[in-house]
Amino acid sequence: MMKQRTKNIIDTIIAVVIAAIFLFPMYWIIISSLKSDTEIFAQVQTWFPREIHWENYIDQFQNKSNTANIFVQFKNSWIIAIGSMVLSLVLSIPAGYGLSRFKIPGKKPILMIFLTTQMLPCSLVLTPLFLIYNKAGLLNTYLAPILATATISIPFVIMVLRPIFMECPKEIEEAARIDGCNYFTAFLRVTLPICKSGIITAAAFSFIFAWNDLVYSITFNNKGDLLPMTSGIYQFLDAYGTKWNMIMAYGVIIVLPIVVLFVCLQKYIVGGLVGGAVKG
Amino acid sequence: MGSKYSRNSRREIRNGYAYIMPALIFMVAMIGFPILYNFYISFFDMTAQSVGMGHAEFIGLKNYEAIFSDPTMWKAIKNTFFYTIFCIVFQFIIGFAFAMFFSKKFKAARYLKGLMVISYMLPMTVVGLMFKFMLSPTNGVINDILMNLHLVKAPVEWLLNERTVIWGLIIANTWVGIPFNMLLLSTGLDNVPQDVYESASIDGANSVQRFFYITVPMIKQSILSVLILGFVYTFKVFDLVYVTTGGGPVDASEVLSTYSYRLSFKTYYFGQGAAVANVLFLCLFVVALVYLKLIGKDEVS
Repeated sequence: MMKQRTKNIIDTIIAVVIAAIFLFPMYWIIISSLKSDTEIFAQVQTWFPREIHWENYIDQFQNKSNTANIFVQFKNSWIIAIGSMVLSLVLSIPAGYGLSRFKIPGKKPILMIFLTTQMLPCSLVLTPLFLIYNKAGLLNTYLAPILATATISIPFVIMVLRPIFMECPKEIEEAARIDGCNYFTAFLRVTLPICKSGIITAAAFSFIFAWNDLVYSITFNNKGDLLPMTSGIYQFLDAYGTKWNMIMAYGVIIVLPIVVLFVCLQKYIVGGLVGGAVKG
Repeated sequence: MGSKYSRNSRREIRNGYAYIMPALIFMVAMIGFPILYNFYISFFDMTAQSVGMGHAEFIGLKNYEAIFSDPTMWKAIKNTFFYTIFCIVFQFIIGFAFAMFFSKKFKAARYLKGLMVISYMLPMTVVGLMFKFMLSPTNGVINDILMNLHLVKAPVEWLLNERTVIWGLIIANTWVGIPFNMLLLSTGLDNVPQDVYESASIDGANSVQRFFYITVPMIKQSILSVLILGFVYTFKVFDLVYVTTGGGPVDASEVLSTYSYRLSFKTYYFGQGAAVANVLFLCLFVVALVYLKLIGKDEVS
């Protein structure tokens, strides 16, 4: 028994070392964002800042020299991510439910359509969508990146939700209908609350997919005041050159909501990735 | 349909479609139609000018002739395959090793494995810039480490050198892709019953034999999924290259998606951009067909 315990301890130590090495870039982005200019420009980088410099963060919010205001980009990121999340949930929750609960002809090809669209590269639809949005007057609106990013999350979310809805017992809905619900209200008031964990996973993924988007925003919107942070940091690079402490600080601000979401919902996100990717 | 379905099942069908249709229509309008339109565009002389005037001429295969006679296109094709294959090799090997290690039953394994998945969820823009900084020849930490370990004598130029730039991108993307490989392969490993290993040990199989004769065949399905999905997700790389190198220096790291983007949105040759995107699509389509054929059976049942 003793032997097993020592083995466990050794395994745990190795695991921590592996994780620490693997997550080193995360550590690096954070400490670099706190370094002074002298330290960041040094030939050999210090592994911990000699002095903590919060100015890299404070300067960004005082809008000293960036062309586009970080507050505007911050706001834009939230509008696009929330808008895309809502749209994606409204469309994909019912679809995931419909594909799990009802016996319908054509289910197989429909599933195949969702499976395939999930695998398509955005570069493929970039040019046609640009021309279509141009005709529809959607260029330079929030709607353009919202609609486009929702196409990433919808098929993924459907694939995550379908098995969860399939596990939810049908009898509960039938009981609710006897108590006076119709099909739709039974779905809304009974099934959805039971499958809450699935809905949380779906919401997290659709938020993250849209928050991380760069290409749709820079393609469809060329007005600076509509661009999200992912494009802001890129332009920031042009403006600041190699002031990496400033750029890394901006990066930390972008990554922060994702990390918070991830830490809070790690179980759901990891499970969702497996569910959405393996089966999807 | 008529008599084929009873009244009840007809209501079920109507109900089912009512739930599915909004999402399906949205996807067909936003992805399905654009794909067809992309084919159409690629046969027309679509430029900023002709779109502005509202009339583009049908030019047959001229756009395809134009892109294939440009050496950059061949470079982009070569780079895309090179990048994809090496990313997959590294991600798969390291991911598999991690999956094997973390499949051991000790307390912290599950938690630490989950924590590492964060790299897969980060925006590629930030990952790209992070690696651009870490790979810098003047103040990049990766060169510091390599020099301290005496693996290189002088700092490697990584992203600034035409010969090394693609390797810099491969390093960055491998970091992102490892958790994906690890997760999917661990799911496969979890499903291998322990007693198979035990009886193999009793029969005298060593760990290498157990790996090749039991583990690999048992999780064949997971391995196939990971490799094919990995191929699809890696092959369509855009953000990482666009942010980190912009396809440069010169066109040393140009890939199909960035080349298509450059033609459509820097030079405004929409027709040629669409044609490049179609070549990208064709490559992926072949791989996707193989995948759907392999997975199709058990998913839809």
